[in-house]
Amino acid sequence: MRNRLKLLRVERNWTQEQLGQALGVSRQAVNALETEKHDPSLDLAYRIAALFERPIEDIFDNPHV
Amino acid sequence: MMTLSRQQTPSGRRYVLRTFAFMAPYVAICVAMMTTDAFDGVMGKPAGWVLAAAVSAPVIGQIWATLALMRESDEFVRMVTAKQFIIASGMAMAVATFWGFGESFAGAPHLPAWLIYPLFWAAFGLAAPFIRTSN
Repeated sequence: MRNRLKLLRVERNWTQEQLGQALGVSRQAVNALETEKHDPSLDLAYRIAALFERPIEDIFDNPHV
Repeated sequence: MMTLSRQQTPSGRRYVLRTFAFMAPYVAICVAMMTTDAFDGVMGKPAGWVLAAAVSAPVIGQIWATLALMRESDEFVRMVTAKQFIIASGMAMAVATFWGFGESFAGAPHLPAWLIYPLFWAAFGLAAPFIRTSN
């Protein structure tokens, strides 16, 4: 799923490890999200949205519209 | 063997330790069986079933270790691990089925059923590096 996660992370000068810790997931999971190898669960998508204080659709493109 | 570098997380490190703990007795029994006559005395006796149970217990332990890894990991690791095990299991079952029917109908030489476990790990080793996505 296309997303702006890497852009948001880099804007804050966070490493994948740091973002993973903030989200409660592994660095591999962050890398997989950024490289579109993993579509997040709704729970994880909401955690990401809450962390960056943005709506989910500002971070993840809705593939159904 | 592990594509996801499972050693990088605490749950991954626990998985590696548990895997070694379960693999060691399994390999020790198999090597002893193949290279010595240590177990010849139990052939055809009830103790043979004890040996069979002893060598299959680590297999059950390994399944538990894998389920524990999935329980303790995040959703990405959980999904990739599940995919790896499903594909490796499918490959091992396909080869075992092929060979079993080959034995029954095509005159293939008999192979012991316990080879399914090493076969599973061989399939896992072949497949896991190519399974890097959850979707």
